Amino acid sequence: MKKHIILSIFAAAALCASAQDFDTKPCCGLENKAEMVKFTIGGRFMADAAWYHNDFTPMQSGATIADARIRTSASYKDYYFYADFGFGGGKFAQKNIFLQWAHQNEVGNTHAVKVGYYNDPAGSMAKITSLGSYHFISRAGSANSLGDGRALGVSYKFNNANWQAYQGIFSENQYNKIEAGFNGITVAGRWLYRPIVDENQTLHVGLHAALTHLGGGVEKTTKGSTVLQKNYTIAQTMETYVDEDTQFLGCTLPWANNVIKLGAEALYHNDKFFARGEYLHKTITKSRDTYKIFIAAQDNIDGWGDVVSWETANPLATNNFDGGYVEAGYLLWSKDGKAAYKYDSDNGTLKGLNAQALEVVGRVNVTNLNQINEGDYYSAGRDQYYPGGYMQDWPYSSTSVGGGRVVSATVGLNYSLNRFAQIMLDYTYSNLDRDKYPYDKNFHSVQGRVQFIF
Amino acid sequence: MNNKNICRVGFMSLIAAAALTSCSEEQQFVDYNNQAKKVDVQVLDQAHPELATVRDYVPLYAVIAHRGSTYWAPEETEASWRWARDMGADYLESDLQCTKDGVVLSLHDDNLKRTTNIQSTFSDQIPATRKDFYRTLTWSDGTPCNFSEADIEAAYQAELTDYYSYYPRNYYYAELLMLDAGKWFNEDNIEQARPEYEATNNALQETLASFQQGKGIVYSNGLYISALADQIAYAQGKMLNRDAQGRRILPYYVKDEYRGKSFSEIYAASAKVTHDVEGAQYGHQGRYHDFIEYDFSKAYKADPQDSGNRPGIYIEFKESWAQPKNMEARVYNELDKWGWNVCTKKCDGQPFYANGKVNVGNTNGKVILQTFSFDSVERVWNVFKGRVPMCYLLWTDYPSDYATDLTYDTPTGVADFIKYMQDKGCHIIGPAISGAPNNYPEMNCPWQAYMVRKSGMINHPYSFDSQAQITKYMGLWVNIWGENPTEFDDLMRITIPATNYSEGGCWDIYMDGCFTNRTEMNLTYMIDHGMRCNSKLPNPFHAGQTFDNSQAPHEVPDANALLEKLGYKK
Repeated sequence: MKKHIILSIFAAAALCASAQDFDTKPCCGLENKAEMVKFTIGGRFMADAAWYHNDFTPMQSGATIADARIRTSASYKDYYFYADFGFGGGKFAQKNIFLQWAHQNEVGNTHAVKVGYYNDPAGSMAKITSLGSYHFISRAGSANSLGDGRALGVSYKFNNANWQAYQGIFSENQYNKIEAGFNGITVAGRWLYRPIVDENQTLHVGLHAALTHLGGGVEKTTKGSTVLQKNYTIAQTMETYVDEDTQFLGCTLPWANNVIKLGAEALYHNDKFFARGEYLHKTITKSRDTYKIFIAAQDNIDGWGDVVSWETANPLATNNFDGGYVEAGYLLWSKDGKAAYKYDSDNGTLKGLNAQALEVVGRVNVTNLNQINEGDYYSAGRDQYYPGGYMQDWPYSSTSVGGGRVVSATVGLNYSLNRFAQIMLDYTYSNLDRDKYPYDKNFHSVQGRVQFIF
Repeated sequence: MNNKNICRVGFMSLIAAAALTSCSEEQQFVDYNNQAKKVDVQVLDQAHPELATVRDYVPLYAVIAHRGSTYWAPEETEASWRWARDMGADYLESDLQCTKDGVVLSLHDDNLKRTTNIQSTFSDQIPATRKDFYRTLTWSDGTPCNFSEADIEAAYQAELTDYYSYYPRNYYYAELLMLDAGKWFNEDNIEQARPEYEATNNALQETLASFQQGKGIVYSNGLYISALADQIAYAQGKMLNRDAQGRRILPYYVKDEYRGKSFSEIYAASAKVTHDVEGAQYGHQGRYHDFIEYDFSKAYKADPQDSGNRPGIYIEFKESWAQPKNMEARVYNELDKWGWNVCTKKCDGQPFYANGKVNVGNTNGKVILQTFSFDSVERVWNVFKGRVPMCYLLWTDYPSDYATDLTYDTPTGVADFIKYMQDKGCHIIGPAISGAPNNYPEMNCPWQAYMVRKSGMINHPYSFDSQAQITKYMGLWVNIWGENPTEFDDLMRITIPATNYSEGGCWDIYMDGCFTNRTEMNLTYMIDHGMRCNSKLPNPFHAGQTFDNSQAPHEVPDANALLEKLGYKK
């Protein structure tokens, strides 16, 4: 009997095909049972206030509308269409827009095909989890820097009680921001195994992987010679939305070509406790039209003698960055015992608080965007690494990347008035190690949020 | 909570959000003044006490005659340096480059187009006189070398493949002495033009005629591209020794060590630098051929107009890519040759000023090195090892970025450069200053000057051209509210006691010396405000101690009258 109940839960969830940025049902709906058509409309609003204190470079304390969004959906038989649009910060932004066909067979296996603009499977568990249900004001920094966001693509998902295999083909997540080239292509997948699944608890472990061939970049023209330079940026905020500046942690990698992403994740919850975590790793390979650039560099009296010497002076190196986080929460109080941590089986994520409750949460995050060669000298006055160990007028290019390493710890208290409204309070301490900011080591932030979802 | 209450909470949140967001706009301003006080600046006296000793070789409030003067006379020539010396400058400033035959020049521009008549003399081609120059070379005793035509042709052909127009490294010094380094000044500065700045002969025509007779190059009879040796001579109270036609006396010949060799052999052998500087070895220098000797024994004579001032020299290593890789070693040897290398010949106990005259040129501070180049910083450190005062010059041009710019001219960036430069044997920071006519970037704001002072390094801003700049950095800086900033009074406010020539006063002084094109203006201001000719100047590098420059000249000559006196008539 228990098995049948669980299967029913999964079936309902799969067919509902909840959108990734919302795992709550909208308040407003219109259903024509005769025609088997259902329309919904809903929204979300998040207002944040934050106070920052750090050692040297000021961050902007203040407040912001972190998110304001309208969502719509329509479903007909096995088809589901969803779209939501953001207005946070006074700027319109398209979020998700997709069409999904999902069908469950008689043994509880669900097959779903989804096409449109949405988070790719390997974007990270944190990215796939709706921010409104996240239990923290911001996602873990490592997920923001090393995870990926929405992209245009098509995917196939197999899901049942114990397994999920979700894979697809996507474009880059640039979405029309590319100046030149094409949108690239990503093959991504996420595979989950759930050794423990019952009404009160779930344990899932999983892997995700993606291979991206970057296609877009900027055209650089020198002496009539044009090359496409593909840059890849990895960056994160200090786990906040009020000051979204990514100056403290990030890097842009010129001549990026392919991105290989690997991740591992685990999630456990019962009614009163949850713990989850991810490890994320990215490898970025490089490529360029060396000969064309070499020829274009022959523009002064001391031009390079040959392409080999130019290449020696301007080496390319593959970059590897990683990070991860562990998050946990405990339900301190729940009115009438109604609230409990629940699992979103379709998305393979934890749901938000579903009733009036008070929880305490904690997180430790590590993000490492430093890849510094031994013996390099770094000049903060020039934000430049010198491979010879000292400053030179025209040094060989260093392959060092000093994007920064941060270790952060967050504790939070969340009070949900009901399943629609929540008040959140987080304190985060971050310790930064970045050559560019030698005087910025300790960051403290206190953040509050009021959010409504309907 | 019912829906009504939810709406109330939401509305209040929006109002709070708007209010707090408006506050955050204020915080976009990064307060460099505040940051400058917070950053950890490396202090020279603590990190490198031996460098602090060398720092004290430099007189306080030194007046550095930038290229002699760019305003009154053709820069970096006999005229501008004689004038600066007699005016009472503490240092004659110049830039160092190298000729094809290894002569160290005092020359600013990386090419010769602006300050000489090279285009009308040589065009943009390899000098047409080059082969004849080789054909007429002699040994030291005057006997012709008589190199074979095949040898000369081979060398010439090699030069054709490695020739870049107008860069001094492509010309022999004797060839450069055919050029007129003063005519351009008269054409560009009508008000300051003086006939004596120009040559009266046609050196090219005379040289061609000389070649016909089997003789060598005939020099111009005006102002020349200077050698470092010339600059040192002017600082020592000398002037050029000229023949009856006004040409400088500087015979040249092939070094005797090459006797018996063909021209090809000499050309190849001389490319290898053999100088050793205290054990440092330098590699192959293919473009430079040190096979010609210039006989400086009769190059100078006592200047009858010598004021008795003995300024030092303040010499800059230029673009590293345009100079020999052993340029610093060459300069080390050149200074040694003229007795101006304090690494090998100290001048302990000499005062900066004596008997109303400048005497810096007889002290351990007689030479100050300077550069924008990181390469030169490294090489100067390897050669001079911090034993000669060294200035690192700051420039920024954000967002465009030259290879040696202080790209991030922020307290963090300045602190970083200060530390690096101290660790590489620098004692002085030379920031650019704003203001007409050059309109350089401002790199000597109070917070920047404060950081340099805090570091224990000397601050020599460049370059002063106007009274407005002088007053701004020597006590009358006003902020955007028209007030003297007071944030940095703890280190920058100097109380200057009265002298016989000034009432003294109390000012924030954002420099410890200055590069100037208007030596007369700087000296006058500093005497009038007690910064010179004062026996009890507070010493900013040694709390509680004083600096005595009371013996500096207290009268500043009239600039025009001095030029007339030196023989440059209007």
